[in-house]
Amino acid sequence: MKPQRSLVAEARDVERVRTLVKLGARLQLLESVSSLSRERLSRIYKEALGKSPPKGMLPFSTEWFMTWQPNIHSSLFLNLYQRVIKSSDIDDTDALILAYRLYQEQVTMLGHSEALSITRAWCLLRFVSSNMLTLAPCSCCGGRYVVHTYELVKNYRCGLCAPPSRAGKGRAWSSLQNEGQPAVA
Amino acid sequence: MNHTTRTHNLARLQDDIREANLSYLMVAQHMIRTDRAEAQLRLGITEEVVDVIDGLTPGQLARVAASNMLVCRFSCDDKIVWDLLAEHGRRDAAAGLHASIVMASRPLEAA
Repeated sequence: MKPQRSLVAEARDVERVRTLVKLGARLQLLESVSSLSRERLSRIYKEALGKSPPKGMLPFSTEWFMTWQPNIHSSLFLNLYQRVIKSSDIDDTDALILAYRLYQEQVTMLGHSEALSITRAWCLLRFVSSNMLTLAPCSCCGGRYVVHTYELVKNYRCGLCAPPSRAGKGRAWSSLQNEGQPAVA
Repeated sequence: MNHTTRTHNLARLQDDIREANLSYLMVAQHMIRTDRAEAQLRLGITEEVVDVIDGLTPGQLARVAASNMLVCRFSCDDKIVWDLLAEHGRRDAAAGLHASIVMASRPLEAA
């Protein structure tokens, strides 16, 4: 028989899951950060958003994080996340929520839209903890950016200091401003 | 005459500093009491300083504010961040994001 779980802990779990659902989290994320059953998670999802959670696999490639605009957004999020982890003793899931909110706030204030969904943000954290992705400093501005762990990053220059030729002009520029449908819905 | 103008200006400067200190400390205390982790991040100060500000009584807060020094400091002392922030919205749509990343990348300051 399973040991009895404290009701308070469970209530806290439910509340946290609701917060994540409202931020756009997919079921896979919810399952990994809470101890609630899949059925209960589905119910919470339906109650919070009035629709069933989307089915299907999550993207599992690290390549998305390397493309120009996603890389900028992911780098901002990951820096904020690491700052949250270092500066306080809240747990990983609360840190994910706080860092994602700060990311959202900052991007919105600057007039951009969120290119990084919370599910992608969580995928990024998993890639980092499995040592596939990491942050490396740009030799030009000193900011830290998401890179493949085993890439040569000695004289790395970020996508903002050395934008690829098409970036910052024409469609790429306006897509940075306007587009940003989160790729993982 | 010259002397009185000087005294007058000095009194005004001290008033301004006190007011800036008071606003800063009140905002900081409010932020800390609302959400500690978030406040620490936004203020860019260490846990120790967070505890101190949290523990200030209204009287202590007023006394700390009434100093001839500003109690808050710039959180970015990097020329690159200033340039990027000043640039934002003028020519380069990504400058604001760039500044945010550089600022978020810097190690937390031991205040």
